[in-house]
Amino acid sequence: MAKATIRNDIRRLRFEHGEMTQQALAERVGCTRQTIIMLEQGRYVPSLLLALQIAKVFGTTVEAIFTLEEAR
Amino acid sequence: MKVILLSIIALGAAFAVLSIAVRRAQRRLPPIELAPGERLPTTPLQRLARWCLLLTLLPTLAAAAVVAYHGPRVWWDSDPVRLTATGLLLVALGVFAFYGVRIGIWTARDDGTLDERDRAILASAPAGQAPAMIVTLAAWMIGLIGAYPGAGAVPKVFLYLIFWSCLMMSVLALLAGVVIGYRRS
Repeated sequence: MAKATIRNDIRRLRFEHGEMTQQALAERVGCTRQTIIMLEQGRYVPSLLLALQIAKVFGTTVEAIFTLEEAR
Repeated sequence: MKVILLSIIALGAAFAVLSIAVRRAQRRLPPIELAPGERLPTTPLQRLARWCLLLTLLPTLAAAAVVAYHGPRVWWDSDPVRLTATGLLLVALGVFAFYGVRIGIWTARDDGTLDERDRAILASAPAGQAPAMIVTLAAWMIGLIGAYPGAGAVPKVFLYLIFWSCLMMSVLALLAGVVIGYRRS
């Protein structure tokens, strides 16, 4: 089975939503700023609950933010 | 004295292996990109674990130094020496108790101080406890077999020292597990 990674567009979405800061997003979804940094840089894969909360903040779906990328 | 020296060498070797494992794990992860001059913010749990690790490690090392300096037999026979070492160890356990209570309060409040990543790191932190205790027991076993080859010759003072060293290594490994968890993820 090919190894897969999850990429996300949180950084872009933050800027599209009034240049929302990492801290503001963290407060809205109930996590720490470090977690948002780790998420944006692909070092942490969120739970479904956190992914849904992030999607809700940006008014979009989880699939629109997170994409599965299979390594070759 | 030889036994304690051997234990310290074994623990040093275990620490070196752990450091190499952490560095290798970090190399596999993408680098953290931050704005120039910006530092990665720390989480409340990370700060708590760091301080508690430091404040647990220092009295533990001081207690080990007291026992190593006076020798196990003097530690056993002399009340002031034993009380000093035990007092230092109790201070370390007190710091650990504070750590446990603080996490309990944060968990009960559920106000976002601990998030899901913190909880995942907390859950994986005990992974190092068993290896740390095995290394500690192995160091004692090798040291005591070398120092007391005769059957039934090991003084019972070492049973207390083994208990205390395993207890403190367990506590330190748990706190180190949290600190290392943030470096590995």
